[in-house]
Amino acid sequence: MAVDLSMPVLVVDDYQTMIRIIRNLLNQLGFKNIEEAKDGRQALEKLNSGRFGLVISDWNMEPMTGYELLQQVRASDKLKATPFIMVTAESKTENVIAAKKAGVNNYIVKPFNAETLKGKLKSVLGEF
Amino acid sequence: MAAAEAALKIRTAMDQLKATGVRERPLVEVLDLSHQMADAMTAFFGSLDKSIIGEFRYLADFIQKARDEISGLQANDIKDSRLPGASMELDAVVRDTERATESIMSEAEKLMSIEPADLAAYKADVDAAMMRIFEACSFQDLTGQRVTKVISTLRHIEDRVTKFANALGVKDAAPMETAEDARKRELLLNGPAANGPATSQDDIDALFA
Repeated sequence: MAVDLSMPVLVVDDYQTMIRIIRNLLNQLGFKNIEEAKDGRQALEKLNSGRFGLVISDWNMEPMTGYELLQQVRASDKLKATPFIMVTAESKTENVIAAKKAGVNNYIVKPFNAETLKGKLKSVLGEF
Repeated sequence: MAAAEAALKIRTAMDQLKATGVRERPLVEVLDLSHQMADAMTAFFGSLDKSIIGEFRYLADFIQKARDEISGLQANDIKDSRLPGASMELDAVVRDTERATESIMSEAEKLMSIEPADLAAYKADVDAAMMRIFEACSFQDLTGQRVTKVISTLRHIEDRVTKFANALGVKDAAPMETAEDARKRELLLNGPAANGPATSQDDIDALFA
């Protein structure tokens, strides 16, 4: 089944420039319905009040990190099936393993390029 | 009472006893033993006094050395001038970088939205945008200089603190974990690695294969 490019995508990062970069890359790939949140807490509020087809989140944010957001999403009956990609500068193996154990669908280490993002989106969502 | 003074009093008392003309053997032996003891005590207390004086001298020298090292540390200069200066430079680096990134991204977004209907107009727009991007990239020269100043300040502080610690033989106490440290540890907040990603994207991909 083809990926619905109109599905809402939530981009979570406390750095506005990174949100802008990801938003532009997603736009280039055809995704048009992109929302943003500046930390895990704000993201969780948005996720609980809407339906999102994908979460792309940074790790290191306050007051709620992307790792905590991932744990909350996976613990929620309503949200647990939402695909979740971590995009972060946290590149230690322990971080990657912890995120995988918590249920992340894929993991991108910053800095990244458009091809890497595209590849992970395909891996998580399927061809588009 | 000083040790030497006490020994002198004991010796005087024994001499007075001997001078009374007592000739009984046991008493004379006791007095001899007492004499020997007084001599030993004189030597002991004398040496004790000298060692205490030595300790006080050592302490006085140590305190003077510490005062000299603290003075050499120039803590007030570091606190009032160097650290605030470095902080201002880093603030400026963040500000300049943000401003340049904003300019470059805005120009790139404009370029992506230009309609290429009129090729000449399109080229003129692209050229103008490129020039603005080049101008924005000039931030790198300034931020490079600012970061160099901050590095110089950090090296200055490192040098002073190292000399201070070495001179006074400072040993690190057991580290105290703050609530913030504990949160960072529990949530694996390590931040970017110094020399590129600690784990490459290829290795991460292998974990998800």
